[in-house]
Amino acid sequence: MTRGAFTFFVGPSVFIMLALMTLPLLASIVLGMHYITFRNLDAPQWIGFQNYADVLGDPEFWDSLEFTLLFIAATVPLRIALGLMFALLLDQIRRFRGLFVAAALVPFVMTPVVGTLIFRDMFDRGGPYWYWMQQLFDYRLFMNSTTVPLLIIFHSLWTATPFAMIVLFAGLQTLPQESLEAARVDGASWARQLWHIAIPHLRSLFIFIALISIMDAYRVFDSVFVLTRQNPIFDAETIMYYNFQVAMNFGRLGKANAMSVLTVIGIFVVLIPFLAMTYREQLEDA
Amino acid sequence: MTRTDNPLARFLIYIALALFTVYNILPFAWTIMSSIKLPKDANARIPRFSFTPTGDNYAELWLNMRPEDFAPYGLALVVFIFLLVVIGFSANRIPAPNSLVYMGCILAGALVAVALPNIVNTAEFYDYLINSVIVTIGTLCVSLTIGALAGYGLARYRHAVSVYILVIALAFRSLPSLALVLPFYYLGQLSGLYDTHILLIFCLVAVNQPFTIWMLRSFFMEIPVEIEEAAMIDGAGRLRSFVSVIVPIMWPGIITTGLFTLLLAYNDFLLARILTQINWTLPVGIAQWTGGEDPGHVTLAAAASVSTTLPILVVIIFFQKYLIRGLASGAVKG
Repeated sequence: MTRGAFTFFVGPSVFIMLALMTLPLLASIVLGMHYITFRNLDAPQWIGFQNYADVLGDPEFWDSLEFTLLFIAATVPLRIALGLMFALLLDQIRRFRGLFVAAALVPFVMTPVVGTLIFRDMFDRGGPYWYWMQQLFDYRLFMNSTTVPLLIIFHSLWTATPFAMIVLFAGLQTLPQESLEAARVDGASWARQLWHIAIPHLRSLFIFIALISIMDAYRVFDSVFVLTRQNPIFDAETIMYYNFQVAMNFGRLGKANAMSVLTVIGIFVVLIPFLAMTYREQLEDA
Repeated sequence: MTRTDNPLARFLIYIALALFTVYNILPFAWTIMSSIKLPKDANARIPRFSFTPTGDNYAELWLNMRPEDFAPYGLALVVFIFLLVVIGFSANRIPAPNSLVYMGCILAGALVAVALPNIVNTAEFYDYLINSVIVTIGTLCVSLTIGALAGYGLARYRHAVSVYILVIALAFRSLPSLALVLPFYYLGQLSGLYDTHILLIFCLVAVNQPFTIWMLRSFFMEIPVEIEEAAMIDGAGRLRSFVSVIVPIMWPGIITTGLFTLLLAYNDFLLARILTQINWTLPVGIAQWTGGEDPGHVTLAAAASVSTTLPILVVIIFFQKYLIRGLASGAVKG
């Protein structure tokens, strides 16, 4: 492809992105170097990297980062493992497949504004889960600093596992049939087919899901906002939630923007291996 | 992979999948139940599983008139939609080109949808639906057109520039949504396009473009270069061969990407909230019932959520086969 053709094809998309997204990105960088509150919006005061020093010296920032990283470590592998498990189960059956797939997409489709709220209400006093736990196990579910983080994890699994399942199920439909046939002739068990054929074949899919999941888990906000009811006693602050508090409750807009920039950098650090892979892929076999 | 023949194992597999399905759809089922409850049933201290169902919430949501007065119009509407569906499905038997029949159906449906508020007294929620449909379809068309062009260009132009574009796109996508609030608000005020569909559409396109081009690029990487080279030897230009050869092959991939774009645009709350004042979309409209402690709001929000989610579920059930095929053919490369 010539350079001219490339410009023609990529031009419109790049133009719209640059036109509309550069401003927020630059604004975050510039505002992050100012002292701004809601009172001096018209006359921000240049303070250089002071906001960054503030953020990095703030123990609450490190607490929220720790919880966010814990959240990633807990949910991303679970999403993939559960997604793979149910994809394999779905692969075993023929009847009702379409039904299971459509049902699995419901949490993903359901309007998030309401979905999170309903999810919380089901575990709350008067909700069905709360009621069943009491009736069946004689367990009274309380919202405390153990159960609320657990619910945040549950919520993330509820919304994101079906996505992993459907992507992996689609991947399972593309396994090389010749290798499977050969394995079958050799009498390889299902477990060996899975380990030696399916998992290596799906490698790039696992990376794709991990990438999307890590990015989204790093920026989790809605579920924390709703499930904690903005109450600090549950000890479940993520970075985005703390970022929101710094901006809205403390009014430190400059510091919040510095945190946004640090978030972009943080996500990039986590994604470096993947970016290196893309770089190689793009310049290799043309 | 090998399927098990053991009846017990097969039985357990179905049980496990059924349990997973129940866990997935239970919150939505609970929402449907809440939407046909009276506020006193929905706010009971012990969850009520048996109650007298009511359509009041839906009537309050959609209508500014008595449901009894709406009944004849509602009946006519149902008959009309049924007719459109029948005509759409029997397009092959009608002595006219299929595309003409589909266009006619869509046009007739759109006309009635626009004219409806002049015939019956609909509530604001109906306007939100119309706004949402316009914004979603607009976003879908713009995003897929420029995204497919860019994804194809990135998959075929193997130079460092492509990598830079992909990385910058990723930086845009990792920007916290909070950072978008002030700049987009100012943009709306400065351009004079605040509270218009067009600005919302272009902002949604810009925000979703990174995801779109990354996904479509991985689809296009799968297609061997030889295919369009053959077309180009025939004398077709790049764009011609792209439109007439590549796009038809990549249709499942485009539908899959389109579905995710559709969901992102349709369910978006933050951008629509920032960029609109009265031309609200559905999620912004629903949010007015999710904050306060008014007991009647719970059932209204539930009815609104069901009304919002069901159309998309119908679309998904319709496109479910393409979705699986699309994911299978493309995303494998990641």
